[in-house]
Amino acid sequence: MGAMARKKQPAMHVTPDRVLKHGILVIATLVALAPSVFMILTALKSQEEYTFNKVGLPQSLVLDHFRGVLFESDFIAWMGNSLILAAGAVALSTVVSCLGAYAIARLQFRGRSLLFSISTSLMAIPPVVMIVPLFVLYAQLSLISTYEGAILIYAGLITPFSVYLLTSFFRTLPRELFEAARIDGAGDLLILLKIVIPLSLPALLTLVVVNALYVWNDLLIAIIFLQDDAKRTLMAGISVFQGRYNDQIPLTMAGMVFASAPMIILYLAFQKHYIQGLMAGSLK
Amino acid sequence: MTGKWSFSRRDVLRTSAAAGAGVALGGMLPAWRARAAAELNMWWWGEQELPGLQAFVDDSVKKYTAATVKPMLQDTAVVISQFQTAAASGEAPDIQFLWNGIYHMESVWLGYLQPLNGLVSDAVIQASNPTLLSNFGGNTYRVGWYPLPMIWVYNKDAFDKAGLDGDKAPQTWDEFLAACEKLKSAGIAPVGGGIQDGYWGEWYFGHALAQNVDSAGETIGLFTGERDFREPKYHEHWVKLEELRKAGFFNSEMLSTELYPGIDLIVAGKVGMGLSVGSRVPADSKASNGRVGTMVMPVYGKGKLAGQPIFDSQGLGIAAKAKDPKGAAAFLEYLQSPDRLKAVHESTGWIPANKNFDVSVLTDATVKDMWQRWGLSPNIPYLSNLVPGQFYEQALLPTAQQVVEGKITGEQAGELAYNVAKEWRDFNPDIVENYKKWAVDLGG
Amino acid sequence: MNQTSRFAPYLYVAPLVALLLFVFGYPLVRIFEFSFKMVRGIDGPWIGLRNYELVLNQPLFWESVRHNLLLLLAVPFMVAWSLLIAVVLYERLKGWKLYRVVLFLPYILAIPIIAVIMKKLFQFNGPVNEVLRWIGLDFLALDWIGSSDVALWTVMLLIIWRESALGIILFLARMLSLDESLMEAAKLEGANWWQRVWHVIVPQMRVVMEFYIVTSVITILSAVFAYVYMIGGGRGGPGTSTMVVELYIFNALIRTSLPGIAAAVSVMLFLVSLLLIVPLFAARRRANEEETA
Repeated sequence: MGAMARKKQPAMHVTPDRVLKHGILVIATLVALAPSVFMILTALKSQEEYTFNKVGLPQSLVLDHFRGVLFESDFIAWMGNSLILAAGAVALSTVVSCLGAYAIARLQFRGRSLLFSISTSLMAIPPVVMIVPLFVLYAQLSLISTYEGAILIYAGLITPFSVYLLTSFFRTLPRELFEAARIDGAGDLLILLKIVIPLSLPALLTLVVVNALYVWNDLLIAIIFLQDDAKRTLMAGISVFQGRYNDQIPLTMAGMVFASAPMIILYLAFQKHYIQGLMAGSLK
Repeated sequence: MTGKWSFSRRDVLRTSAAAGAGVALGGMLPAWRARAAAELNMWWWGEQELPGLQAFVDDSVKKYTAATVKPMLQDTAVVISQFQTAAASGEAPDIQFLWNGIYHMESVWLGYLQPLNGLVSDAVIQASNPTLLSNFGGNTYRVGWYPLPMIWVYNKDAFDKAGLDGDKAPQTWDEFLAACEKLKSAGIAPVGGGIQDGYWGEWYFGHALAQNVDSAGETIGLFTGERDFREPKYHEHWVKLEELRKAGFFNSEMLSTELYPGIDLIVAGKVGMGLSVGSRVPADSKASNGRVGTMVMPVYGKGKLAGQPIFDSQGLGIAAKAKDPKGAAAFLEYLQSPDRLKAVHESTGWIPANKNFDVSVLTDATVKDMWQRWGLSPNIPYLSNLVPGQFYEQALLPTAQQVVEGKITGEQAGELAYNVAKEWRDFNPDIVENYKKWAVDLGG
Repeated sequence: MNQTSRFAPYLYVAPLVALLLFVFGYPLVRIFEFSFKMVRGIDGPWIGLRNYELVLNQPLFWESVRHNLLLLLAVPFMVAWSLLIAVVLYERLKGWKLYRVVLFLPYILAIPIIAVIMKKLFQFNGPVNEVLRWIGLDFLALDWIGSSDVALWTVMLLIIWRESALGIILFLARMLSLDESLMEAAKLEGANWWQRVWHVIVPQMRVVMEFYIVTSVITILSAVFAYVYMIGGGRGGPGTSTMVVELYIFNALIRTSLPGIAAAVSVMLFLVSLLLIVPLFAARRRANEEETA
């Protein structure tokens, strides 16, 4: 290694330096992949095989566990619930945030910058801080274990980020567009619907990805506010499932394969949006 | 089939106490439809842990002629809160399913349940064994429905392999230690199960604390501050755990295994002895070809409750504002009639909580023997059902885990338990008063 | 409707304000109120600072706080690992895009799912220990989730494993936006790879690293519930070894019916998060400025 070696290094030669770097990447990849590989291999083993073959390849492929998960557990129902919540919360939050962000970015009114600052600050408040009063209130209003109740909370929790992202994005749209539309006699609602939103589709898509993932992956709100078996979300379901079939590791892993499949497939299909979305999401 | 009662129940109580009492005060509830005379509402639970109970309820309702009974199966999460909510707004069902001990005592303290003595015939209440923990202020608040014998199990094959008598479980602590020694030499983990989720500690407490107390009321004193966990006899059970750990008698995976998978290890013969619950026995006996035996925890203690079988039960009660308490009582008596007792067994494969149940229908010798010893002989209540939630979370579950792990000694566990009990009193001065009154009923 | 009326903007923000008031405003006011009351059900008598006194004198509370602080030790490892991998990826070796896809995978899997998998992997007689014993590292075959001395570190390992994926992507994205001519110039001046990384790349990463560190600190102080809930058997076990502040609040509210106590701890956590908002916003602003510059 060192300067001498580097100097004469043409594009494709095998040098110790290159080997080292590839080595690092390979190790990192193995570490990143190991749990998923273990999950998939184990799901294909029989219960007996796992007791003596914990790390190797399965000797024969057993698909029974997948059948078990699919037909004898509530995974489908849990996924349905998660989907309802994610769709409901994302839809509600997106509408509310589009209207709000449009006003903040494009209209003049008192308290505008205060509203934006407060809304943005709320991103840093841990959700757990809000649960005590909401739980008590929901108990009073009989909203525990209702979709409406949970959707409202989720929508609220993701909205500060939505407003932040959309406001920043709306501000980047050229002013002339608005002025031209206004001269043509378009009202604000029309401008928002016909001009701003179509131009903001990439930002909206990112937003939908981040927010839907947040709701889909949440555990805290789900176990507190959706206690009814019939309303359980996928993540809360997983915590029940793994306790119930604690000793049946291949079956548990089949469940995990099934639970993670939608996310992995979507990720592989839409890598770009995912990565962008999650990076933007980290700004939360 | 046994399900998850021990944990879901506790979690449920804690959730609902806040929710239920909350709504109670709020009093904003959808009104349930008005009832005509001779119509009874019954909210129940149990299908979740005892599949087949639904069929029994449906069948019983259909055959009952004195009134129209409308049953509603409740979700695990709302068993307590839904009832308390409804009771607060005067819309409670006539008949309500009730878990034992503190799980229904709270509703009693809130005035939502009415005493059954004088309403349901004494003979029926007695035979159904709602246990002592259903008593408060000299009254009884439940009729038993189906029993939960709290047991230890051992694997007869493992005993054979270790040169022990598979038909004779150890009764004294010395016999028990000797058996452990032999099992260990034979390469079998002598005792244990799974404690990763903590519930093992709850079961153990129920079995072992009983060895050094004379009454359930004495146990209450440990929480109200009249007695002290630091006194050796009140933490000896944790010291025993420490000894077992030091002797290397626990199975190596105990700390990273959960409760029920831990019992499976005993059924499979990988662990010699451990804790279980009666409702698992029919299935476990079948799975092991009758090679699982039941036993009472081996005795080391000198309390009056030592060495006695522990009997817990699920039960039914009548709401304070039931429109027709007499009709409700009549239906509860009907559920305890010989024909109905038989029907419980036929629908669920399990046993009804009644001393008059005709045992000749039981085919499995192990099950029959267990019922004889736990259901029909003198028995004692399950003391873990007396534990305040805060103590349960912060002492009952963690101490056993930490002792089994070797992190703390039995004595330190006693110290910790004392501190947590004291914290509980500081945090809940209002509930302490009710506990003190309750101790009187429990022979304190 | 040519002209926007004076009141129209308020109509646009009304739903937003209503939603935020409901989900944030109302609870944030009431946690303060509850924290001064002995709440039973929905309300209770005022008891002044009693809840705070009880909490601050309780060993379990301080243990929870200590665990959150200990978990902060994960942050340097996350930064170092992410930086190392990002720098190597930045070399754009053959197949680097594929590596990037795979290396981000940990962040895609939901925490409960990955926690379940890890729990099985790290069982005492599970695959990880089996491999360790097989290669002769018996002393490393710990009871990863069953021992109260180790469990918190296992949680930390899991946090590092998953949250580093975000660091890698963030850092790499920043590197790819750097001006390449600086690197070329350094190369021409004979700087070796390490020198270039250390003196050219890393200084330019300061802002994004700062941002990543602040976000990670916030995550660890207030968003590790799912990790400990799954690994610690829902109770912060074994014993109380993985109990954290979030779980303390959860338990006080749900399991021990003490909303007043839960509210007092919520207030304290809220105040800490307020303190963190300042550096977060500063870091975010700088990161944004850098991006648009």
